[in-house]
Amino acid sequence: MIKHALITVILLAATSLAGADSGLQVSEPWVREAPPTSRVLAAYLTLVNTDDNTVTVTAISSPDFKNAEIHRTVIEAGVARMLPVKQLEVPAGGQLMLEPGGHHLMLFDPLRTLTAGETVTLIIHMNNGKQLSATAPVIRKTGEDHSHHHH
Amino acid sequence: MSTDNKQSGFKRILIAIIVAALAMAAGIWAARAVLEHNSVQDELDATRFPEAREIASFSLIDHNNAVFDNSVLKDRWSFIFFGYTHCPDVCPTTLSILNSVARKLGDLDEDIRFVFLSVDPERDTPEQLAQFVSYFNADFIGVTGTPEGIEQITRQLGVLHIRAQPEEGASGYLVDHSASVFLFDPDGRYHAVFSPPLSADAIAGDFKKMLQAYQ
Ligand SMILES: [Cu+2]
Repeated sequence: MIKHALITVILLAATSLAGADSGLQVSEPWVREAPPTSRVLAAYLTLVNTDDNTVTVTAISSPDFKNAEIHRTVIEAGVARMLPVKQLEVPAGGQLMLEPGGHHLMLFDPLRTLTAGETVTLIIHMNNGKQLSATAPVIRKTGEDHSHHHH
Repeated sequence: MSTDNKQSGFKRILIAIIVAALAMAAGIWAARAVLEHNSVQDELDATRFPEAREIASFSLIDHNNAVFDNSVLKDRWSFIFFGYTHCPDVCPTTLSILNSVARKLGDLDEDIRFVFLSVDPERDTPEQLAQFVSYFNADFIGVTGTPEGIEQITRQLGVLHIRAQPEEGASGYLVDHSASVFLFDPDGRYHAVFSPPLSADAIAGDFKKMLQAYQ
């Protein structure tokens, strides 16, 4: 238990250190729990850039999945399509929200069963060679009243 | 795949999108034009047809392997959304919204049906759909069928669905599909359509108004 708490503290420290260093921070990351039939999950978060320069995210990865991509859902003429996105630019002093129906992280083939309450590690790769890691809770969202998560 | 093939594939998709968009636009325009003086429409986000449309026969199966055709649509209001179970963003989001709608309409004395109709019959078997829809709501109905059966209903509604070209090394494929929710009345007729962006409050509110106008 203490060991677990210690690891968490170290992980959190590492996350914030990486964040401070790169000027990029992750806020409110979460992964949508998938229905039992799906091997593809979507993750959402907000990228906050506290730096004076634009930060470019070039890729994401996750040790919990076989493969991960940055996607964007676009709805044109009532038709929804998902398009892979090469990079995300977070303006200086600004932020970029990845949310349902818009930009999202697509996570393919989980390496373990991921149900609500568990966490996923997301690694954000930037064009300056730096990386930022974030811990995202898996959340069940089915439109039930109790599925809204509070902070 | 050669460049020529790719281009003609792309052209086909483009033409299909244009045709579907025109069909939808024409439908909405026709509805709006007739509805200039329709006070119900003025209060709605949804597009309601002044005269609900008959739907030509189609034959599909539900997640319990029971026949799902025109006759099943009768006697109850039905909300129908088209998607596929491997869809990680739009479909779960929409089904969550529809579950919210179901809860908001729960106090009405109406039997309302919520249907998830697959546009990916190759992967969406009845068993797969049963697990998928019940994750959101035990009363939701999953429907699939043959590609021809699915075409019979999607064509009439202007519902576009195209299998996207998989990327190199991709383990599956994506399907581009309509993001609208279609409403059928207890006469089994196409009554209204809710276009994205969808909101549970707007759908539930609009439904109550349409229900009142219908009675
Ligand atoms: Cu995606």
